[in-house]
Amino acid sequence: MKTWLSRFGLVIALLCIGTALSIVKPVFLTFPNLLNVVRQISINGILAVGVTYVLLTGGVDLSLGSVVALSGVVAAGFAHPGDWPVIVPVAAGVLVGAACGGINGLVVTKGRVAPFIVTLGMMTAARGVALVVSGGKPVSNLGESFRWIGSGAVPVIVFLAVSCVSWVVLSNLRLGRHLYAVGGNENAARASGINVEGVKLFAYTICGALAGLGGVVLAARITTGQPNAGVGYELDAIAAVVIGGTSLSGGVGGVGGTILGALLMGVINNGLDLLNVSSYYQAIVKGIIIVGAVWLNQRKEKS
Amino acid sequence: MRPARKSNRRTRPGHPKLHSGEIPGLAGGWNSIAAGLCCVKRLRVLQVLDVSKSFPGIRALDRVRLDVSDGTVHALVGENGAGKSTLMKIVAGLIRPDEGELLFKGQRFRPRNPHDALKAGIAMIPQELMPFRELTVAENIFVGHEPILRLGWLDKKKMQREAARLLGQVGVAIPPTARMKDLTVAQMQVVEIAKALAHNADLLIMDEPTSAISEREVETLFSIIGDLKRRGVSVIYVSHRLDEIFRISDAVTVLRDGQHVATRPITDIDRNTLITLMVGRDIEETAGPSATATGEVALELRGLTKRGKFTGVDLTLRQGEIVGLAGLMGAGRTELAEVIFGLVRSDGGEVRVHGRAVKIESPGDAIAHGIGMVTEDRHKFGLVPVMSVKHNITLADLPGWWINRRAENAMADEQLRAYSIKVRDRNQIAGTLSGGNQQKVVLAKTLLPRPSILILDEPTRGIDIGSKAEMHAFVRKLAREGMAVLLISSELPELLCLSTRLLVMRQGRISAELDPRSVTQETVLRHAMPKER
Amino acid sequence: MRRLLEFILALALSGCAQHKSDEGRVLIGVSLLNLSNEFIVMLHRAMETRAAELSVKLIVNDAQRSADRQVQQVETFIAQRVDAIILNPCEVEASSPAVEKAIAAGIPIINVNSETRAAPTAFVGSRDEESARLAMEYIARRLDGRGNVVMMHGFMGQAAQIKRDRGAKDTLAKFPGLKLIAEQSAEWDRAKAMSLMENWIQSLGAKINAVFAQNDEMAMGALLALEQAGLKDKVIVVGVDAISDALQAVKAGRLDATVFQDARGQGRGAVDLAVKLLRNEPFEKQVYIPFQLVTRENVGDYMN
Repeated sequence: MKTWLSRFGLVIALLCIGTALSIVKPVFLTFPNLLNVVRQISINGILAVGVTYVLLTGGVDLSLGSVVALSGVVAAGFAHPGDWPVIVPVAAGVLVGAACGGINGLVVTKGRVAPFIVTLGMMTAARGVALVVSGGKPVSNLGESFRWIGSGAVPVIVFLAVSCVSWVVLSNLRLGRHLYAVGGNENAARASGINVEGVKLFAYTICGALAGLGGVVLAARITTGQPNAGVGYELDAIAAVVIGGTSLSGGVGGVGGTILGALLMGVINNGLDLLNVSSYYQAIVKGIIIVGAVWLNQRKEKS
Repeated sequence: MRPARKSNRRTRPGHPKLHSGEIPGLAGGWNSIAAGLCCVKRLRVLQVLDVSKSFPGIRALDRVRLDVSDGTVHALVGENGAGKSTLMKIVAGLIRPDEGELLFKGQRFRPRNPHDALKAGIAMIPQELMPFRELTVAENIFVGHEPILRLGWLDKKKMQREAARLLGQVGVAIPPTARMKDLTVAQMQVVEIAKALAHNADLLIMDEPTSAISEREVETLFSIIGDLKRRGVSVIYVSHRLDEIFRISDAVTVLRDGQHVATRPITDIDRNTLITLMVGRDIEETAGPSATATGEVALELRGLTKRGKFTGVDLTLRQGEIVGLAGLMGAGRTELAEVIFGLVRSDGGEVRVHGRAVKIESPGDAIAHGIGMVTEDRHKFGLVPVMSVKHNITLADLPGWWINRRAENAMADEQLRAYSIKVRDRNQIAGTLSGGNQQKVVLAKTLLPRPSILILDEPTRGIDIGSKAEMHAFVRKLAREGMAVLLISSELPELLCLSTRLLVMRQGRISAELDPRSVTQETVLRHAMPKER
Repeated sequence: MRRLLEFILALALSGCAQHKSDEGRVLIGVSLLNLSNEFIVMLHRAMETRAAELSVKLIVNDAQRSADRQVQQVETFIAQRVDAIILNPCEVEASSPAVEKAIAAGIPIINVNSETRAAPTAFVGSRDEESARLAMEYIARRLDGRGNVVMMHGFMGQAAQIKRDRGAKDTLAKFPGLKLIAEQSAEWDRAKAMSLMENWIQSLGAKINAVFAQNDEMAMGALLALEQAGLKDKVIVVGVDAISDALQAVKAGRLDATVFQDARGQGRGAVDLAVKLLRNEPFEKQVYIPFQLVTRENVGDYMN
């Protein structure tokens, strides 16, 4: 009930901002612009859905941005025209991401190192590997079929597919329920017979795999694999999740909120660009909105 | 005004305080009358006047009154959900009342937060202590009002000196430099009391102070409370343990369903009357042990050992049997249960379930072998407080990888009915339930996978008499249906009335097997007390 | 933390040891802005090549965009008693202590590519304003001095952004027919530039005649957005830096122009200057390597 209320609050916020924008800038409400908005949020959205898994278990993943760069570079390496069928670079990118996430998960569960530290290390290391793999230079000259992934509505479809699958996983699968339990009370989850380590490993691996997928889509969209891409993406992703009502301490939240959070951030970005608000003020507005949205969510939960 | 009072207090320790000259806004004449009256009838340190408080969907308090006299121990009793906690939170400034008024030492008292209450002289020692675990004892005592030298430097020497003095007043030797995390729960309580003394508290609220400490520590606590009384400090004592209430309190107030039921001097009331007042109906508090119709061996331990905790434990548990496990804190009972259930790995020995040796490395393994456990610490191991009641109940037994919502709802509803758990609906967040209902949810969850062996570790700790009686009835019913039950409890009467066999643990070993029908509490204690040397 | 210190110490010590074994050879410490930037990589390669030709030894450190780290690196160079230092500053202000410390220690220091507030022994680089001027003049030429321009900024407040902005606006002032109808930061980032361009296409649409992006990454992002909207043949896009992607796009006729900043010239120039200094030969305190406009006509000269 409460989560519904807070989601409702987000929907209202979105509608208000949308209405205001479409009055001031009628172009906001046109199909091409709305497609723009969803396409622009799709990469952040994919990452945000991934990190939702990890945040639900009460962990955190700071390595997303670097994993995006690494998997983008690796995928691009397999995507030169006439190289491989398009499935190969996509699979390579996703697998590299999953491997990074899997390492995060193993160190967190077996090594018992705090997720913040583990993923901070991965953030640095994955960036380094991306630079080594690419020799510090962007990997360009990508094939037509690979670039297709980043064009038109394809990123949006990928984002929607990821969201739907994740929604089902989190709300209908036993595994999803276990994620919530681990985040809500790890000890009680263990005492209920849940394989806590396994659940966490799954969360980090999925998060990494989705970061990998995000990296593939990004590389396809900007038609290069950039070793220095994705800097700061993890924070945008976490912001979207938190705006969507998922608790940083775990156990509460879900994909629905995350999608709305990403959408809200996208609409604001788009709106500020349409209004040609100066970059300085854009940063201020975004900061206020992140904190404001979370503050509103929490107020609703208390009452 | 306040500094004057405090310095005044220090000059005559150990005397009941008189309020002459200290009640502002009243004519001097009244003060002298009050002072005069004091000899005949004690002044009231705290008066709660028709206080009401509602939460969404619940009227937690309905025009409740409470008068606490100077220098007395006033017990507050009632079932869980009766409103005791809410009332105490209002007095301690944690929440504000919707209606009504508080008078503290004759003055209108409206604390906006716990700090206000503490400054005024009301300290609360909550059931779940929340000390700063990494700080020292002295730092804990003076947190928020540290003695300061120039430039904001901490006066550590003074802090330690004062802490030692306060702890000395309480009569317990705890080094002020010890880390809080290294203390026992009982010692932490003492530190909390010292902290209250540091604030010159006139009223101390203790919420279930004996729920997590051993019997010997209880004795120490009671002598401290006696001391406080002699100093003129009043105590509001919240507890479910009626023995304690009859031992130490001067008066008792009963709450039921958010309403004031009765206030009596303790000498004017007997045990059964008190229970009837609390529950609003008659309850048979104890019944003899159930019949010992036992079946085949369900659980067998052979030489089970966990280094530093227990050694060479042999135990046989049959279907339909309730084996009670008595012992003092630290005897190794909880640790034994945790090893059986796979929360902790054993260092040696064998566990056999239904005749077959099994390897249990996690609670998942234990559950798969038909073992269920209700752990001692409900908050730590029992409940996922942010999840709904339904999700908690089905947590240990979600069949298949895909959740069938309809089946899940049906399972949850069935358990809610079977254990008469009071909830608004099955989607209510578990953390918002009362303690007794939370415990029933944990029991329902544990029993959903239909275990054949059930371990109960302090199943009735901190829950009200009504829920306790229900819990006892469930346990007997389960045993009658063939469940093998291992029951750990620090309450001997509970063990004696429930168990079909009674084992006593002492210092990590099983020291005796007794027949609960013929044994006395004294005998059990004799086997439980550590041997001299 | 202690392990980290030991590690750094070990690194520093191994540097000293190397120094001893290479006795007699000139040793130059180099601290670079960021080796994951293609331009800096080119600058680095040019330095290494030139150093090999002059048989000079380089110790190259990557400051990874952190001025703080850069100052530490220079401190280490000073402790190692290198003969000269080449600094590729991260920031105008925050990298200044590095220059001051080197001067105080009597070690000549040469700034390459960008400036610091503190005056170094010598400077090799290009005037960033000039790059924007070249780009804007090209746009003006193509539009016959009349039309609407949008500009993508780098990270606001960075030296390159400030100078390229100044150069662009000074040039625009000379062409009253050119109007700057929108400007926004895309933080040097290709993906962000692409999103920004998509949004501009929505709000300004056909009004845009030309895009000036303060670097090629953003120009490439703008280009992709315009191509996908089917507007590229109506809009001129110009970037700065001449990265390989951009050069290829110019060659293919997709990108209209970029401005070549001569990384090789700057890298060689810096090493040359250091050697001159050490040999006590006369030298210029400020060496400016000129920018060059790259269009389809001359792009072949810049590709290798």
